[in-house]
Parts: sequence; structure tokens; C-alpha cells
Amino acid sequence: MPADSRQPEHAAIATADDHDRRESSARGLAGDRRTPRSSGARRRADRSVGYLLVAPAVIALLAITGFPLVYNLWNSLHTVQLADPGAGHGFSGITNYKELFDEPGFSADLGHTLLFTAVSVTFEIVVGLALAVVLNKKFKGRGIVRAAILIPWAVPTVVSAMLWKTMVDPQDGLVNYVLRTLHLPGAGVTWSANAWASWAVVIAADAWKTIPLVAIILLAGLQIIPADVYEAAEVDGAGGWRTFWKITLPLLKPALMVALIFRTLGAFLVFDVIYILTGGGPGSSTETLGYLNWKAFIVNSDFGYGGAISVALVVLSLIIAFVYTRLLRPST
Amino acid sequence: MIYSCKQSFRRRSAAIGITATILGAGLATGCSSSSQPASSGGVVTIEFATQGLGAEEAATNAAIAGFERANPDIKVKDFVLSTNTSDALQQLTQQFVAGSGTPDVIESDVIYPATFAQSGWILPLTKFHPDMSKFFPGQVASVEYNGQYYGMPWFTNAQGVFYRTDLVPTPPTTPQQLVTDAQQAMKKDPSLKEGLAFEGDKYEGVICNYIDFLGGFGGSLNANNLNTPANAQALQFMQDTIYKYKIAPAAVTGWQESNVQNAFLSGQAAFALNWPYIFPLADAKGSAVQGKIAWIPFPSNTGQPQAALGGDDLVINAKSPNQAADWKFIQYMDSAQVQIARAVAAGDAPALQAAYSGTLYAKLPYFRQAEKVFAVTAPRPVTPAYPKISAELQTMLSSVLANQETPQAALSGTAPTVKSLFDAKGS
Repeated sequence: MPADSRQPEHAAIATADDHDRRESSARGLAGDRRTPRSSGARRRADRSVGYLLVAPAVIALLAITGFPLVYNLWNSLHTVQLADPGAGHGFSGITNYKELFDEPGFSADLGHTLLFTAVSVTFEIVVGLALAVVLNKKFKGRGIVRAAILIPWAVPTVVSAMLWKTMVDPQDGLVNYVLRTLHLPGAGVTWSANAWASWAVVIAADAWKTIPLVAIILLAGLQIIPADVYEAAEVDGAGGWRTFWKITLPLLKPALMVALIFRTLGAFLVFDVIYILTGGGPGSSTETLGYLNWKAFIVNSDFGYGGAISVALVVLSLIIAFVYTRLLRPST
Repeated sequence: MIYSCKQSFRRRSAAIGITATILGAGLATGCSSSSQPASSGGVVTIEFATQGLGAEEAATNAAIAGFERANPDIKVKDFVLSTNTSDALQQLTQQFVAGSGTPDVIESDVIYPATFAQSGWILPLTKFHPDMSKFFPGQVASVEYNGQYYGMPWFTNAQGVFYRTDLVPTPPTTPQQLVTDAQQAMKKDPSLKEGLAFEGDKYEGVICNYIDFLGGFGGSLNANNLNTPANAQALQFMQDTIYKYKIAPAAVTGWQESNVQNAFLSGQAAFALNWPYIFPLADAKGSAVQGKIAWIPFPSNTGQPQAALGGDDLVINAKSPNQAADWKFIQYMDSAQVQIARAVAAGDAPALQAAYSGTLYAKLPYFRQAEKVFAVTAPRPVTPAYPKISAELQTMLSSVLANQETPQAALSGTAPTVKSLFDAKGS
């Protein structure tokens, strides 16, 4: 891997070569056939073929992402109660958005979501980084371990959440059994009957599934750090921690940023793990914005209010992404 | 020249191909929403939307075959919905919102007819003069909306109390007695982990269980008037089973049917609230309670117990072009012979009272006990706003069972919201 980074010129030369070859072949083609048409016309024709060829992809993209976004925005400004056609489909202005602020559920769930995002992302990044550093070391069976570590990520969330739910059953579950056997505190906890305990389980289940992803992203980042930098640090007499803080972390920034954005947005939109594990309970202590959105759309068939929540989620996600790109911009 | 000609031909055909694909997709979607009744030579085809899989699907197919033999001019097409009730609701809502005339006849969970009716999606059956007295009254209530019947009961279900006959010789007749019986049973048999197991997770099932507890104290799940002394008493009792009487484990706050089933069938619980599907499982291999169980409505102080109603109704799509055929089909599905055959093949309890007779008892003796529970079923609030009300009730019950709120505070807090949801949608 480090070899790649030492050959930037080669890559540049290769691209230049490619470019030349393309140019010459285009010229050659025109020259050989001796057509009266100018190469400009030729190019225009080529371009229109190009447009035609990408058209299906562009149309598909617009249909798949553009249309729903615009349609959702339209919904959020109208009364759209699917289960109640009598309510009409009139323009409702910002009524749906006003409801976001009037309904206590939204602000409470926003708080839950931010809390969950902050705690779970911090936890996942720290543990994921530690795992990545370990996986970057040379040891026997590393290939197998690297592959095996991805397994939790490959398990569907619904399945893993169900698994966790079974494991934290206070009577028959594994977690309480282990705590009891080892005489650890928490053996008597009924996880589903306590808000903080429920959050702990939700965060654990989410972390179990997503830490592998974080670890793999960071491992990829670690591998492109050239070895000679470490060698130089060693020569200069820098210790392990110092090397980690001064060299590894700064050079890992791009990978860290990818992991952070992925995980923060993922955590911010969390739904499935909560839907299966707690249903937002006990009471409404583990309801998040994703859950509230699901409730508005699916339970209440209210596509107007649901649309408003979605738009709020999109805006908040964009803000988060923006802040990250600002904070973690590579310092060149 | 030949080369460029070919190229332009290829180009054009590619363009045509793309256009055709897009147009084709457009036409296909355009067509599906305006499907016409497929009639050929006087034969009409109706589409029947059902949820069941496995034995239920086989029973449905057998019934359809029988119906088609008896009515050669009607063909029935099976339209399989998701087995998950909320997903099935989504599928149906999409069809309804698109204004589709199919499916013609629909199997609907007992909680949905009011929602469909208020939207004008399903047909009031008044013109067919249905005879509702043949069915269990609790389920008849589930299809009645604004003074009209919008569906016919198909098969019924109820939440009752299973108990261990070896530990509880005579069934309790009051909630208090259930507590003492459970406590005594726990003393008598130390291997017993819990006196009472019920569904206390935050989901639809906790509401069904609350309905059972309500019957114990003369309360009722009236969306218009939720905060009554009897309802508060029942909710207090429900919470007390965990924290005061300690007959139910706090674990029930995360339990659904399968957890209760496991606890009861493995011999860990003296009492368990569940649906009658437990009967065949209790007799199956691996069960620790073979021949040691009985089923009753939740014991009541007022002598008027109630059992939460489950089950499914049959409704007709208001846009169906074959309504006479649809009605014929429903009547066939509700005939005693089909109801009994379905019960025997798939365990679905007949909604038809007349089906509870020697023929059925000979094959499945437990229906003798079940009939007594089905006779006292109470539906969840029959209102189009029920899905919203359900979400409120689930949150309320979950917070009470987790001991986050006192029952009285929770009821006073939730009742006005539930009432406003109920009023907004009318009754």
C-alpha cells in the first residue's frame, strides 16, 4: 500500500498518456476517413450521443431521489391525511412545521436523538479506532479476524435487535445471567422497565452492529499512512502515545471524517433498532425523531406532518454534515 | 456510409428502446390502477386479499375451491397480504388510495373496519340485510360504524387467562383471588418463576391485556371516557401485579406473546394471559404442561368479565364491480361447514356461534372452553382514530408498567388526548 503513495508521478504520466492516446485516436479516425465534416461537428455529435447515453441514468436518478424529495416537500406544506380523505388536500402553509414546535413530542424526541447520537457515535469511534489499530498490527490469523469482524455489520438490524432483546430478558436472558454468575452489579436490572437501562441496551445493540464498519473504514485510513513516517518518528525517539497523537490521528483525519459523517447521520436517523428493542418505551423515553417520523407516516397516515418531520431531519442532517466538513477540513 | 448508417440506426434503435422502456413503464403503472373486472363468458373473477400463510392459506384455498365448484360463474383469485398486520394495512391503504377496484373482498383485522369505513373505502352491507345475530356480539361490534355494518365476522380470537389445573384446582372468580392463587402456587411449587405472565411490552398486545384487566373491575376502554375510577383501579391492579403483589416479573414490561408462551409452556407460570393458540402447543411434544391447563375469561369483581377481541372480519371494497359475487363469497366463507373446516385445519376459531357444536368439539375439545371466552369478547375502541389512540395507550401503559408514572396520573394525562383524537374523527 505505501508503495502507491510513493509513485505519484507515474500515475500522472499514465493519465497524460491516456489523454494523448485518446486525442490521437480521435484525430486519426477523422484523418483516415477524410470526411468533409469538421471535427467540431463531430464533437458535438459525440456529445449528444453522450447526453443520450447518460439520459436514462439521469432520469432514473431524478425519478428515484429528486421526485420523492420534492413530493415530500410539497406534502409538508399541505394537508395529506391518507386515512381521512374528508380532511381534503388543501394548502396548509407552515401549519405542519408549526406543529413541530407545538407538539412536546418533537422537542423531547430531538433531545433523545441528540443524546443517542452523541453517546453512540463517541463510543463507536473510540472502540472502532482501537480495533482498527489492533487490526493494523501484524499477527497470526489477521486475515480471518479482519473478515470475521465484519459479521455483525452483515447481520440485518432487525435480527440483531431481536437478538439483543432476547439477551437482555431479565429472567431468561444471557446478560443478566452472566452478571448474576459473576456477582456484578446490574444482575437484577429489568432493562425494559427503566429509561436509562433501555438506552444502554439500544446503544449497545447499535454499537455492536456498527463498530465493525467504523473499524474497517479507519483500518483503510491507517493503511495508507506511509511506513516511513513512523520510521522517522522512531528515529527521532517518539514514544507510542506521542506517535499516535502526533502522527496517526492527524493523518487519519480524512478516514475519521468519513466514519464520523457516516455514523453521525446513521445515528441521527436511527429507527429500526429502537422499533424492535423498545418501541420507544418505556413510556416514550427512547423515542427518537426517526421513530416519531415513522409514527406520523405509518401509524397516523399523516403525510403532511410526517413530511415536515422528514424535512426537518434532512435540514438537521445537512447542518451536521456541514459542521463536520468545516471542523475536519484537511489542513493543507 | 454503410458504417455511419448502421451507427445511426443503432443510435436510433437505442433511443427508441429507451423511450419504449419509459413509456412501457408509464403505461404499466397507468394500467394497474384502472383495472377492469375480468369477465369472460359471464364468469366474473373476484380478488380475495388474505393474510394467512401455511395451514391458513391451505384452508383458504380449499374453501375457495369449494366455492368455485358451487358457483361456476365466479372465479376467486387469492391476493396474499403481508402476515404483519401493520404492513398488510399499508398494502391495502395503497390500493384504496389509488382507487383500485381490487382486491374485491378483504380480510381485515378487527381494528380496521372503522378506519376503512370512514374513508369510504369499504361497502356498508345494509343492502344485503346481513344477519348479525349468528355471530359473537363482541366481534359484531367491531364492524359496526355509524349505525351500519361494514363487514362480516370471519374468525374470532380472544385474550383469556390460561391457568395450571395442577396448581390451581378451582379457577379464581375475582382479581384478588387470582393474586392469592398465584402467590400460593408460587409457594407450593418453588420451580415456578412467576405467578402471572402477561404481555406488557410497548405494542398492541399490552392494550389487549389491559382490556382483560378492565373487565376485572367493571371498567371499559371507552375512548370518549377513559379516566374512570374503575379504569384507574384496573390499571393500578395491573401495576400492582408486578410491584406490590409480585406475582408478575418486571420482565413482562418487555414481553410479547412468544415470551408469555415460553414461560407458560415450560411450566414457569401459574397464570398466563394469551390467545387460544396455546391449546394445541400445550399438547404438543416438549410442553411441560400437557393435560394440565384450562382457559377462562379474566376473573371479574362485577361478574361481567371481558376478553380482548382479536380475529379478522371480511369486508368488501367499495369500488368492487362485482359486489353481488363478493357477498355470495363472504356468505360461503361464513357458512358453518367452512368455518368448522377452517378451525380443524388451521385452528382459526369460528366467529359463527352455530359452529360450536358436536362436530367441532369432537375434533378439538378445547373449543368448549374457548367458546365461553369468545362469548365475552370486547373490541378495542371502534373508531377510525384507533391507530392514533393505540399509540397513546401503548405509551401510557408502558410508562405505568415501568413504574414511571402512577396509574392515576397516567390516565388523567392520556384521557384528554385520546378523547380529542376520538372527537376529531367522529364516531
